[in-house]
Amino acid sequence: MTNSDSLTIVAIATPRGYGGIALIRLSGPKALSIAKRLFVSNQNLSPRRAVFGNLIDDSGTIDTGVVTYFKAPSSYTGEDVVEISIHGNPYLCDLVISACKKLGAVSAGPGEFTQRAFLNGKMDLSQAEGVADITYSSSRAAQSASMDLLRGALGTEIKKIKAALINTITVLELELDFQEDEIDFISARDTLGAVSVIISTIDRLLKTYDWGKIIREGMRCPIIGAPNSGKSSLFNAFLQEERVIVSSLPGTTRDYIEETIRVDNYQIRLVDTAGLRNTNNEIESRGMQKTKSLMRDGNILLYVIDLSDPRETMPKLTPSELKKTCFILNKADIAKPAHLQNAIKLIGNRRYFICSALNHTGVREIATALITEIEKLSPENCPIIITRERHKDALFYTNLNLKRSVNSIRRGAAPEIISIDLREALGYLDVILGKTENDDILNNIFNNFCIGK
Amino acid sequence: MFHVKRSYDNIVIGGGHAGLEASLASSRMGANTLLVTMDISAISRMSCNPAIGGLAKGHLVAEIDALGGEMARVIDKTGIQFRMLNRSRGRAVWSPRAQADKIKYSFEMRSRVENQDNLDILEDTVIKIITEKDRVVAILTQNHGEISCLSAIVTAGTFLNGLIHIGLEHKKGGRLDEESAVGITQSLNSVGIISGRLKTGTPPRIHFDSINIEHTTPQYGDAQPVPFSFQTKNFAPKNIPCYITHTNQVTHDILFSGLDRSPLYSGKIRGVGPRYCPSIEDKIVRFRNRSSHQIFLEPEWEGACQYYVNGFSTSLPIDIQRKGLRSIPGLEEAEIIKPGYAIEYDFFSSYQLKRTLETKTISGLYLAGQVNGTSGYEEAAALGLMAGINAVLKIHSEQPFILSRSDAYIGVLIDDLITKSPAEPYRMFTSSAEYRLLLRFDNADQRLSHYGQRYGLVPSEQFLKTRQKTDTIRTTIDFLRATTIGPAEINPTLHRCGENAVGSGLNLFKALCRPNIHLEDLLQFLPSSLSNVIVSIDGLVNLVEIDVKYHGYIKRQSIQIKSQARHENTLLSPDFDYLKINSITKEAREKLNQIKPETIGQASRISGVSPSDITALLILLKKQVVSRET
Repeated sequence: MTNSDSLTIVAIATPRGYGGIALIRLSGPKALSIAKRLFVSNQNLSPRRAVFGNLIDDSGTIDTGVVTYFKAPSSYTGEDVVEISIHGNPYLCDLVISACKKLGAVSAGPGEFTQRAFLNGKMDLSQAEGVADITYSSSRAAQSASMDLLRGALGTEIKKIKAALINTITVLELELDFQEDEIDFISARDTLGAVSVIISTIDRLLKTYDWGKIIREGMRCPIIGAPNSGKSSLFNAFLQEERVIVSSLPGTTRDYIEETIRVDNYQIRLVDTAGLRNTNNEIESRGMQKTKSLMRDGNILLYVIDLSDPRETMPKLTPSELKKTCFILNKADIAKPAHLQNAIKLIGNRRYFICSALNHTGVREIATALITEIEKLSPENCPIIITRERHKDALFYTNLNLKRSVNSIRRGAAPEIISIDLREALGYLDVILGKTENDDILNNIFNNFCIGK
Repeated sequence: MFHVKRSYDNIVIGGGHAGLEASLASSRMGANTLLVTMDISAISRMSCNPAIGGLAKGHLVAEIDALGGEMARVIDKTGIQFRMLNRSRGRAVWSPRAQADKIKYSFEMRSRVENQDNLDILEDTVIKIITEKDRVVAILTQNHGEISCLSAIVTAGTFLNGLIHIGLEHKKGGRLDEESAVGITQSLNSVGIISGRLKTGTPPRIHFDSINIEHTTPQYGDAQPVPFSFQTKNFAPKNIPCYITHTNQVTHDILFSGLDRSPLYSGKIRGVGPRYCPSIEDKIVRFRNRSSHQIFLEPEWEGACQYYVNGFSTSLPIDIQRKGLRSIPGLEEAEIIKPGYAIEYDFFSSYQLKRTLETKTISGLYLAGQVNGTSGYEEAAALGLMAGINAVLKIHSEQPFILSRSDAYIGVLIDDLITKSPAEPYRMFTSSAEYRLLLRFDNADQRLSHYGQRYGLVPSEQFLKTRQKTDTIRTTIDFLRATTIGPAEINPTLHRCGENAVGSGLNLFKALCRPNIHLEDLLQFLPSSLSNVIVSIDGLVNLVEIDVKYHGYIKRQSIQIKSQARHENTLLSPDFDYLKINSITKEAREKLNQIKPETIGQASRISGVSPSDITALLILLKKQVVSRET
């Protein structure tokens, strides 16, 4: 009974965080076909049979896992359902979920699985309410902060944004519904100005989500660089110098190693990656692809340069990668002063640290500097932090539509076209406020449910 | 004259724009119909300004036309100036407006009803609507006694207990110097239909010879006028100008000096007036810092001695009206023929109606036009037409005719009326239509003429033409999508249109998406059999272009409509007792119980009903279905 009936939804069904096992659930007509493309095993997926195999995405194997297919209507929701169990690591879960989305699934709304179950006659009302109670109470503590935020500061902020957007739309509509001589019109530029202000306000809010994620899950710092520049030595030096809070992921099939250390009150997730180099070797280039994807997701990139190697060249980094790169000039113990000069020239006076990973000199300073970097990411003058993915998504799509409207305005599009984008943006804000007037109703339903169940 | 029968299928009460469309549709669909009017010579009289159409209203007229109504054809035949408004904006909001010749318009309309088979006209006043067991059985007239009927459509406009205000004076009347109608409201109240009071107003009419035209700016219509009706051929209307002038600070000071004798500001008028059509005194009070307002002088007919002072609607005393007018350039010596006035009248809150415009509580009783709380000839005509069609369908025990919000402006109009039950006179706006891009003036025939044809109101021959148009558009777009032209062939065209050249082939659909490319530029790449048909159909080139250039947006809107459809088709029982549902808010319970929406979609649009209320409702519905099944 929802407009997303035909859509296949995906969400993590277990609490977010590190644990033995995480369960990701897919429901909808495409659940099986998505699973078939995501999951490689020497056994076929058949109803109600747990199958062991590899979960893969574009860049290779994400993890090993167990996948169970439930054929409609004999499933939790009454639709085709696929349950994927992998190791309990939020990062891996994200990879699986984004792979599902790439294959056509969409994020489940709050309580959407139960909602579908209810609507497909899989449970009656009292059962549905029971699910709500159980799920809600178990995660109440975790969610109370964000619930409060929605009622308080965040809600107020979104309402402000909404009011500004409605104002802009109103002005545009006036122009369409009254003749030139009946009313004083706002110019296109004013609309542009108003929309731009809203966009930057939302952008600021969106950034807080990244910050919140850093706080919850740690700052991702891939260590990159040419082969033999000392990446692994640096990685190990960090582990010996700082407090390791989680041991290496068991059984990961990724060819990189990740460890989380705690410095002050922050978690830093160090990733030792495959060396960056140009290669024709297929296996190596696959490793490179993984490194690239780690670099994309990293908050800060630690780029290790071997001071003792005169053949070091300026790394090929994209501007956005360069922006978050911190250079580590390694092997200071055996480097000649001329090498140092060369290296500094090479990186074009960007921020750098000199260290010797081998005898741990300079490592502590890098850790301290990383904390400074983390704190730099904390949103200024923005007391609100977006913590829920649903809110982030809604704000993201609000802004996507607002940005579309900016393009339309610049292109000189007709006001009724601009209005379509703005109204759609408004619809996404309503998703957060739970006051959707254009009744996408059932998606707002069971609002007390957390994602997944 | 004729002999009035004692019994009719359908009786229409009121000969205004709503009543005319209602009685024509009803009689043409085969129902034995009687139109009762207080004054035959006042049939389809324009009470206010001498114009048809305007923003959003032009859309309504085109939709009325596509459904087989009369308004468009009559204005095309008798209009004296035609203008397409909003030309500087996108095509979806282009809307035509015409200056009417009030006399010819009324005369033409009257001849159509008088010559209509199955339709009798009676000059009399209805004083009572007689019901038995919650259904209409007859009307009681002043001079012809009781006449029985299966259904009655009330289209009494502003005549129900009409009260006219000029300054602090007031008198009963439906229009200036016309009687008001007493009795209908009371008889409906007595069977539980709730009424309220609304207010509207009109400006003074002045003598043309007293206008100093040289102090004004003339405004003509379009050199290449577009007709309202898709059936109009060989369109070559008159182009008689209006004149523009402006008020000034002196005018405003004069008007201010009369506010103490304003029925609006002295509290005499209690009815709610339309905010979008304020009186001049409202404008100067609410927008104190504006030193000037536009005044638009409109001829009331061809060669008229009487001009309508648009923008100067007022109920101030006549001496203030005169003094105020004379402070305006061009009106220095203005002679008033009829003063401006405000009128209060009864209306029936529209939540009491079904989507067919039949009242929910009295079977066979339909309300249409200004009595529903709308304003405007076009809104009235649209409602009259829909009520007329539905009254006959009910008599014939056929499925009702419902237009959705995605079908037509008429659908939006009716849905807004019955779910929002506006407290001020309702006027159609393009912004009320969420699927505006799809509901254009230029595609009204394609959207709706199959309905007109289904009910026998649009001739088959016309309908076939529309179908050919629709088919040609589809064929053309299919061809464009399937055809790619090599760079050597297409680059000269791109160059000529100021577009970047291409290195490899360019698909014609994509080519037409480019802002500077028009279909005419691409006709050379189409087979001549197709391009000949394209150019032979009026306006087809533009229709194809809109579909192609806006296709992304059109697709988005179509997806929204689809996702909405299920709610629109989920019916709610009128017997549902919302007060018993504990899981929804008190406000929602009361609203739902009052309005008794017919569908979930409609329920969700009621203000005060939140998404979670709708959820609770859906859960209950589901539960009922489940319990019925088991």
